[in-house]
Amino acid sequence: MAALGAVRCVFRSCSRVKNVQKNKQTLLQWSARTCCSETHSTGDTVQPQFTDPAVQDILSRITGLDLQKVFRPIKQELKPPTYKLMTDEQLQQATQRAAEQAKKLLQMPPVLPERKPIDDVLTVDTILEGMDTAKYVFTDITYNIPHRERFIVIREPDGALRKATWQERDRLIQVYFPKEGRKLTPPLIFREENLKMVFSQDRHEDVLDLCLVQFEPDSSDYIRVHAATYEDLEKHGKYDLLRSTRHFGGMAWYLVNSRRLDGLVVDMLKRELLDDAVSLVSLFHMVHPHSQSAQEAASQQASGTDLLKIYAQKESQRSGYIELALQAYEQRAAEGSSA
Amino acid sequence: MLVFYNKITCQQTSGDVCKFLHPKLFHLLGGGLSADNMVHLSAHNKRARDSKYIEQLGTYDPLPNIYNEKLVSFNFDRIKYWIGCGAHPSKPVAKLLGLAGFFPLHPMTITDAERRRAQAELSAAAGAESEEQTEKPAEV
Repeated sequence: MAALGAVRCVFRSCSRVKNVQKNKQTLLQWSARTCCSETHSTGDTVQPQFTDPAVQDILSRITGLDLQKVFRPIKQELKPPTYKLMTDEQLQQATQRAAEQAKKLLQMPPVLPERKPIDDVLTVDTILEGMDTAKYVFTDITYNIPHRERFIVIREPDGALRKATWQERDRLIQVYFPKEGRKLTPPLIFREENLKMVFSQDRHEDVLDLCLVQFEPDSSDYIRVHAATYEDLEKHGKYDLLRSTRHFGGMAWYLVNSRRLDGLVVDMLKRELLDDAVSLVSLFHMVHPHSQSAQEAASQQASGTDLLKIYAQKESQRSGYIELALQAYEQRAAEGSSA
Repeated sequence: MLVFYNKITCQQTSGDVCKFLHPKLFHLLGGGLSADNMVHLSAHNKRARDSKYIEQLGTYDPLPNIYNEKLVSFNFDRIKYWIGCGAHPSKPVAKLLGLAGFFPLHPMTITDAERRRAQAELSAAAGAESEEQTEKPAEV
């Protein structure tokens, strides 16, 4: 009991987050957790985190708000449609409310570093060796403690009492506190070969939604599936699949951190989203302040197309492509203004 | 379910400060669907083992699952409350709590383990002897 008490103290010193819920309160809790746990300080400046308000602002802006896509028909309970007669003003108000609802739906799931594996042995009682052929798994089902702090210990047949690993924890918490949509064993879709097949059918968004429901945000499976999805999107340039969904911000963050913005910038310029491209490049400069293009831009106080030109010259591998796209955009803008 | 029951017994523990006058016992309740073979932990004193209980405090599944685990759950918060009220665990529950690390190890757990090991050694020795016997006629 003393051992358990000591372990409880250790657990309580970590953050208190229950489980992945899609609301702002949890997002704030996640941000508090990342702030107090690790500091990615490179020299004097502190690396901007995913949850910084400035970063979140930029990412939500480039996600876009296509109401048609956000509220497209999804599989839900069958109800007969309702028809309403509205004045123009009422229609405007309804559209505003729909936009607010869409913003809530578009809230980005947290991006966290991978959790460290648990391998803590509480005690080894060799006198118990051979008492049973099976392991005993003890779970604490007290209702009002967060799942992260719950005690789950395993007594092995050789007498060792150890804490459960993350996979065992997830499985057992699902047994005693089932979450809707989560399965005990991860669905087969998350295997490598099946992921490839799903990506060929352009169903990246469904995969990411399933992944969000099934795994915890800092589990290795979650990070692996997300990385695979983003890599595939980047390889084929299918960024538009995720635009106006909640996963676009995560994808942009991943690309910014791995410094592979070119494809996304080119895609944005093709679709004439200059503001988005500019904010993406400024995000890149925020995250990598010591890169050449960032320093150049800071020295020149550039903004708008100049920022893009500096980025194209200094940092990108496909600079010719970006400059071409910029020229085409400027031409179209000139034609539009003249006509 | 670990469950509690209000019942009079003659074993009044002295120094019982609890408002409930009668000491309680928490134990394993046999029952539930025979299909899943779940044994519920429940408590009573003089009532029949499977009848009405006060509270469910946990579960115990004696059959190992596909990962070779026997799943046990305890509501430690409530167990601590009832122990504070002067309740006593039955022998199997005390053994489980000892295995979990909540209580010190039950002496019978250790004795059982030693007996099993002795048994295993005996059968191993007997197996070795029978092998030698089968070899000798083969040689001859």
